[in-house]
Amino acid sequence: MKAIKEPTLYIHGWRFLQIGLLMHVWIVGDLGFRAFILILLLLILTSLRWRFRLPVWSVLLDVLLCLLLFPYTDIHYVALAIPMFELALRGKWMLSLLLVAGFSLLHALHVIDSTIDLIFWYHLHAFLFGCFSWLTIKSQQSYKREADEQRKARAELERIKMDLLEANHSAIHHAELMERYRISRQLHDHLGHDLTGALLATQAYEYVKDSEEGDKLLAEVRQRLERSTVSLREAVHNVTPTAMIGVERLDYIISSFQHKDIAFYKSGDMLLVSAYMWGLLEACLKEALTNVARHSDATKVKVDLQVTESIVRLSIHDYGSVTAGSHEGSGLRGLKLRARSIGGSLSVNRQDGFLVVCVIPIEKVGEADEATNRR
Amino acid sequence: MTVFKFSLKRSFSNKTNLLLLTLFPIAFIFFPEGEYWPVLPYGYQYFGIVLLFISIRLTTIILVDRAKGVVKRLAVAPISYGSYLCQNLLAFSVILVMQCAIVVYGGVLLGVELYQPHWLMLLYVSFSFTSLAIALAWISIFRSKESAFLIYMSLVTLLAILGGLLMPLQIFPEALIRIAVLFPTYWLNQGMSWIASEGPVGDFILINGVLWLYTIIFMILGSTRKIH
Repeated sequence: MKAIKEPTLYIHGWRFLQIGLLMHVWIVGDLGFRAFILILLLLILTSLRWRFRLPVWSVLLDVLLCLLLFPYTDIHYVALAIPMFELALRGKWMLSLLLVAGFSLLHALHVIDSTIDLIFWYHLHAFLFGCFSWLTIKSQQSYKREADEQRKARAELERIKMDLLEANHSAIHHAELMERYRISRQLHDHLGHDLTGALLATQAYEYVKDSEEGDKLLAEVRQRLERSTVSLREAVHNVTPTAMIGVERLDYIISSFQHKDIAFYKSGDMLLVSAYMWGLLEACLKEALTNVARHSDATKVKVDLQVTESIVRLSIHDYGSVTAGSHEGSGLRGLKLRARSIGGSLSVNRQDGFLVVCVIPIEKVGEADEATNRR
Repeated sequence: MTVFKFSLKRSFSNKTNLLLLTLFPIAFIFFPEGEYWPVLPYGYQYFGIVLLFISIRLTTIILVDRAKGVVKRLAVAPISYGSYLCQNLLAFSVILVMQCAIVVYGGVLLGVELYQPHWLMLLYVSFSFTSLAIALAWISIFRSKESAFLIYMSLVTLLAILGGLLMPLQIFPEALIRIAVLFPTYWLNQGMSWIASEGPVGDFILINGVLWLYTIIFMILGSTRKIH
């Protein structure tokens, strides 16, 4: 079916129909075998044009065949439509028009004697069809080029989007690593130092015989332990974020959603879920709830967050009715791409209401660090 | 020339082909002569039909290769499609020319009246290539060997009737005689009439020339590579 839409099919059809026309003219006219040989030779050229892309100058062969094989008959005059068409088809419409005009002039001056009175109109139609075919092919090539460029740009954009998402993932992971490093340094430099000093002092106390010396050591241990406690309290206080993160953020979003009655179930160790995963889960929840508010007539929504050692699964299920023509919006499409970029998936099911399920694999700590080192 | 040798072997591997390629030509030598028509013995008049039939039997090997995916594998093989096709066609043409030689010179040996056996041999060789080209163009349209063969049999019958091989052209209306000129079988018939009548050589050259023109046309049309 696709072939029917191709202009080249009609061009080849026209070419072979010309041969058919010539054979018809030969059959009904009382013409000899030389004209028949001319038709066969023109058929060879037509077949070659169907099989290969012949150069423009091959049109000369058609003209030469028509000129050299005499006596000239109506077959010769009708056959001249072929080079007229081929020239117009290659964009050499001036040459084609010249051929049409030249033949018409010779015919008008009775230099050429054709029994077909309307031969001029036939040649003109061949010229016009050639020009039309040329324009059609040019337009088609231009559309194809444009479509290719757009496809290329889209692929480039997709690639950049995937790179950005991956860079985002990497940046989040690096931020985590930096923060872990900062905390470890802080603990090592202050808390670790003091605790180690206190331990050494208690070990030295066992060997001290002088009670005064011993009291000094105990006082030092107490000081160090007090300093460690303060340092620990400060570290915990500074590191603890004030903004809501993780499952608290999801709780907040659900509690802020006033349109419907939402039941939120959660299970598993929420600490296993990384910051970038919370970002995606939050976005999925927001998108799903927005869709519920806009498009659904459900009164109840169930949100289920399950965290295991290997995956985190968030499902948002509304029990409303789905319209027949509903389709995924750009929001869900974007989230699918984001989920895919981190190795997860987002799927939609419309069988019983509207169900959105987002599944993300959990990277083990060692695996994440190895992946970072490889990058 | 691996494809050439293999093609020859494959052509004779089938029992039907073996019968067709060996016994049939010999059998045609023994057909009787007609009283007024045809100008040559019946076996030689109908031999053109046999050549058309043998050509399609042989070229269906290429169709089978296409259906089995051999042509697809050739696309990544160090042998070009043109080479594959030429070697196959060379093998088939060798078989057909052998058939023609058996029929013509076998007839000469047995004393059959062939008027000008060498010209007849040349005519049959030209028509062999034409029938091979027609069969090649025919199979390029089809995917299935069976449908190609069955429909071709109807076409061969039509070509034979309209070309004047099965009955004299003079009994047809004028319009049909004019249309008959378009068919290669007409030119074979004219060639056989020339051989019996011993006319000017120019006419025979014209007849063979037309047959070769048909060969070129159908070769161009049938030599496209189709990968299914």
